[in-house]
Amino acid sequence: MINKRLGHALLSAVLILGVADIALADNASADKIQDFGPQTFAQLKTQFAGKAFVVSLWSVDCAPCRVELDMLGQMKKAAPDFPLVVISTDSIEKREDAADILDEYQLADEITWMFADSFVERLRFSIDPGWYGELPRSYFYDAEHNMMSHSGILTIEKFKELFPY
Amino acid sequence: MLTFHLISDCLRPLHGRHLPDCIKTVRRFLLATPLALTALLPALLTPSLAQAQSCEAVRAAQGAETISVHCGGAPSATFDHNNQLWVAFVADKHVYVSRSQDQGNTFSDPVQVNAVAEDAEFNGENRPKIIVADNGTVLLSWTTKTSNRFTGEIRFSRSTDGGRSFEPPRTVNDDGLAIGHRFDSLFLTDTGKLYVIWIDKRDLEASLARSEDYPGAAIYYTVSDNLGASFRPNVRVSHNSCECCRIAVAPHGDNNIAILWRQIFGDQIRDHAIAVLSPDGMVSDLSRATVDDWQIDACPHHGPTMVPASSDGQYHMSWFSAGTIHSGIHYARYDLASAAPADIIKVDGTPGAGHPSLATFDGTLYLVWKGFDGMSTPVQLMRSHDEGHSWSAPQTVITTDQASDHPLLITSSEGVFLSWSSQQHGYVFKELSND
Repeated sequence: MINKRLGHALLSAVLILGVADIALADNASADKIQDFGPQTFAQLKTQFAGKAFVVSLWSVDCAPCRVELDMLGQMKKAAPDFPLVVISTDSIEKREDAADILDEYQLADEITWMFADSFVERLRFSIDPGWYGELPRSYFYDAEHNMMSHSGILTIEKFKELFPY
Repeated sequence: MLTFHLISDCLRPLHGRHLPDCIKTVRRFLLATPLALTALLPALLTPSLAQAQSCEAVRAAQGAETISVHCGGAPSATFDHNNQLWVAFVADKHVYVSRSQDQGNTFSDPVQVNAVAEDAEFNGENRPKIIVADNGTVLLSWTTKTSNRFTGEIRFSRSTDGGRSFEPPRTVNDDGLAIGHRFDSLFLTDTGKLYVIWIDKRDLEASLARSEDYPGAAIYYTVSDNLGASFRPNVRVSHNSCECCRIAVAPHGDNNIAILWRQIFGDQIRDHAIAVLSPDGMVSDLSRATVDDWQIDACPHHGPTMVPASSDGQYHMSWFSAGTIHSGIHYARYDLASAAPADIIKVDGTPGAGHPSLATFDGTLYLVWKGFDGMSTPVQLMRSHDEGHSWSAPQTVITTDQASDHPLLITSSEGVFLSWSSQQHGYVFKELSND
C-alpha cells in the first residue's frame, strides 16, 4: 500500500517536473524571439558581412509557411550552423503563438525575429522594396550579398538550387 | 496585463497588431496625455467641429478604456435609407456598432453586438460587415477565429430595434466542424435576399481524410429570405479557392449576386474567378475573370473589389496580382456574356501598393487604393467618367506615415465616401464626390 502511494507520488512528481520542464522550454523559446524593427535588417546584413545567408519570412496565419518551416527545421537539425534568418511578419504581441509553432518545427532554439512595428509596410520595405507581402517569402544572399528572392513554399530542391553553398 | 492590453490596443488598434513593449507603451501614453489634451482643447470647446482624431487623443481625453470608432479594429461602414452612417468595428473581442448623423463628424456611443467575448477577426481582409435593411433591421457578419490552426466560424447577428440591442450571434456555416470557415462577405439585394459568402475548408478536410490532395479551400454561401431570421442550407460555389482573400460581391438582376474571388487554376496559379449565385442555390456563369498567371503557393491576403457597370451583366473590377502577365493593381470591365475582360489597365505597379476599392455614383466610377513610397502610405484616388475607358490621374486623398487599414468606398444616395482607419488619424470618413 505504502509502496503504491509512494509510486503514485513519484509518478506525480515526475509528471509535475515534466510539465514544469515543458513550461520552461516554452518560455525559453519565446525569449529567443527578438524585435524586428525598421533598422533590424540592415543590422543583420552587417552581421553577415562577407557571408552567405538565407532569410525565411512566415506568419502564424499562413498555412503554406508551415510546410516551409518543417523543411527548415529539418535542415537546421542536420546542419545546426546553417546561416538562417527566420522572421515572422506577425506582431511580436503574438510571440507565444509563434514560439509554439517554431517549437513544433524544431526551430524554437534558434534566435528568430518578429515584426515589432505596426507600420508593416515600412518593415517589408526595409527587407525588400520589391516584395508585395506574400508569404512564405525567402531570400538568398551570397557572400557578396547579391540577392535572389522566392515566393511560395520552398522545397529542398529549390533551396539547393538557390543556395548551393 | 489587462491595463497593458487596453493601452496597447488603444495605440495600435490595426491589423490585430499591438505594441511590442509594455513599458514603452505606458510611457508614450503618459507623455502623450497632456499634449493630446492641449491639442483637443479647441475641439472640446467647439464640439460641432469634432473631426477624425487618433485613438491616442480620444483615449487621452476620455479615458484609457474608451471604446470608440477611432480605436476600432478594421471598421466597415454603411448607410441606411435615411442616409444615416453606421460603422461596425472590433474592440477587445467584441463587435461594436456606432452611428453618425453628420456623415462621420460625430458618432453615437458604440453598442456592443456580442455580449460574450469571442475572437472576432479584424484585419484588412477580415472585418465585421454591416448592412441596414430598408425596414431598419441591422445585419452583421464576421469571422471568429477558433484556434491558431486557421479555423474559424462565420457569425451573424442582427438588431430589430434600430441598433439598440443585438441578437446573440449565430454560426451560419452548417457543417458543425471545427475547421476553417473565414473571410465572410455580406450582401443584401434590393429585393431583400441576404447573402453570406465565405471561404470554407470542409472539402479540403474531407479530401485529407481520404488521403487525397486538395489545393486551397472552397467558396460556400447561404441565403436568408427573412433578413437573417433563418438561413437556407449552405451551398458550394467552387472547389479550390485561395485560402486567404476577401470575396467581392455585386448585385446581379433582382435576386442574384455576382461574386469575384481568388481561385487556384491548374497547379498553383492564383488568379480570379467570377460566378453568379441565386437564392435557391444555383451557381452559373462560373468562369475565369483574370489571367495574370500568378504562380504562387502562398497566401497573398489581397482580395478583389467589384461593382456593377451600367450595362447588365458587366462589372467593374479591380484586383492585385504579382503574376507574369499582370503585376500590381489592375482595373478591367468584365462582361459575363462573353466571359472576357475589357479595358485592362495597370492602376499602380509600385510594390507595397494594394487593396483597391471601387464605387459608382452619378455616372462616375471611383477607385481608391493604398500606395506606399517607402516612408508613407497615401490613399490614392482615380475617377472615370466613361465606364472605365479612360481615367483621371491619381490624386492623394490623405497620407499617413503610421499603420493604416485598407481604404473602403461607401455610397449613399448623396455621394461616395472614403472609409479608412489609421493610427495617426483615427477613423476618417470623407466625401469624395464633392469636388
